[in-house]
Amino acid sequence: MVLGFALVLAAWHLMTAVLEVPMFKKITPPAVVLREWFKPDPFFGVSVYTPLYYSHIAYSVYRAYTAFALAVLLGVPLGILIGWNRTFREFTFPLVETLRPIPPLAWVPLAILMLPGTEPPVIFVTFIAAFFATVLNTLLGVQSIDRSYFRAAECLGFTRRDILVHVVVPGAMPHVFIGLQIAMGLSWVALVAGEMIAGKRGLGYMIYDAYSMVQIPTIIMGMLTLGLLGYFSSALVRYVGRRLMAWRAF
Amino acid sequence: MRLAAWSRGLRRAATSAALWRGLAGIGLFLVVWEAASLVKLPFLRHVPAPHIVLQSVVETIQTSAYWSAVYISAKRVAMGYVIGVLLGVPIGLAFGVSRLFKDTFFPVFETLRPIPPLAWVPLSILFWPTMEMTVVSVIFLGSFFTVVINVLGGVETLDIRYVRAAVSMGATSWQVFWKVVVPATSPSIFIGAAIAMGLTWEIVVAAEMVSSIGSGQTGLGAMMWQAYVGGVIPLIITAMISIGLAGLLFSALIWQIGAYATRWRRVT
Repeated sequence: MVLGFALVLAAWHLMTAVLEVPMFKKITPPAVVLREWFKPDPFFGVSVYTPLYYSHIAYSVYRAYTAFALAVLLGVPLGILIGWNRTFREFTFPLVETLRPIPPLAWVPLAILMLPGTEPPVIFVTFIAAFFATVLNTLLGVQSIDRSYFRAAECLGFTRRDILVHVVVPGAMPHVFIGLQIAMGLSWVALVAGEMIAGKRGLGYMIYDAYSMVQIPTIIMGMLTLGLLGYFSSALVRYVGRRLMAWRAF
Repeated sequence: MRLAAWSRGLRRAATSAALWRGLAGIGLFLVVWEAASLVKLPFLRHVPAPHIVLQSVVETIQTSAYWSAVYISAKRVAMGYVIGVLLGVPIGLAFGVSRLFKDTFFPVFETLRPIPPLAWVPLSILFWPTMEMTVVSVIFLGSFFTVVINVLGGVETLDIRYVRAAVSMGATSWQVFWKVVVPATSPSIFIGAAIAMGLTWEIVVAAEMVSSIGSGQTGLGAMMWQAYVGGVIPLIITAMISIGLAGLLFSALIWQIGAYATRWRRVT
């Protein structure tokens, strides 16, 4: 593990600082990025000591989590309804499948036109990304429940509502959490793009802004910060899933 | 014979309640949309009604600029995607079969993987000499990470007894790799490839939007962005629909290839 990181960092250093390969001439060496990242008075204005860095992070986290929470609140019930009620599925699922292939990012211009202000469009685009992944995986979860559970519940005199609460919802849970993990990853992807195009703050904007001012260490800082945040968000979803599904031995 | 089966299938489809209910759902959506723009709902005030969009679709698909945009985006997707799969499959397999390789490079891979593809755009623009290479490389990154992680997952769920059986019958490790690991992983390879294809159209749109300034060739994403800047809203929606359809077609193609390549899995 240490060797792998060392090799990659060494290659990066070698390409940029020592050999100065033409393609890499605009990329800064790792040491420069690190120095900028942890410097109390950063050359380009953003480092772990500046409030601006944390304000970008706070904006991105706030948008990603708001959109994710909306997607969970709307997507999970919708997925369960589509999976549980056949009539509902036949009426709504084709519509979902018609809208789903449109990439979230393709919604950006329309979202800017439809929604007021700067926050709602970015959150909406992020929401779209997370929403379809959540719905589809929840539906898959309901459909993967063993038919004999339904029969057993019916034999024991469960009403349709009891089945929904005691069979469908817990049975779909494992797939729901797989879906949520995917949704979390996708929402960060969409968020960054949304912020680059439409945002006024946030890490995506920070990267784009740094790009237009040719502040390369800041670009790389932003990328690595996003990587860390994305990683911890997915880990958080996994952790919550494990706590909620304690009956499953992981 | 085949024709009869065909017409029977068609008749069954036309009389199935599910089909009509599905169409009713979509129809209802369009009616609500049309009505909403008719009564001028505030948040839809910039959004044209469906019949105007339809008109725009019909007009747009007759222009050569549209087809060249489709071609340019499709070419970028295809290039980035093919490179991503060609590199991703061997690397995923290598992670799966070599402990040393995995221990050395997997942590690095996992550090880079959560960085959203779009965050690579600015650095790619600086790195690559042309815009074309930038867009292709970002698409490559998006599909590469997805393919690797799915292939690795496939190798890891491989039943160890297959390997043991092959080894006890005297297979060399080369044979184990080609006759056991690769065929057993091929379903995961194709699932990874299909998921990656779903991502590529999203990435091409975003990459073209972000880097549309100064880009010589106009893909669908750039076309959409220009429509937005120019305020031609029906064209935005036309572009959205086109991108959705293109993504759907490309994904269907990958599923078909996957189903054919792993046809031994079919039950019948």
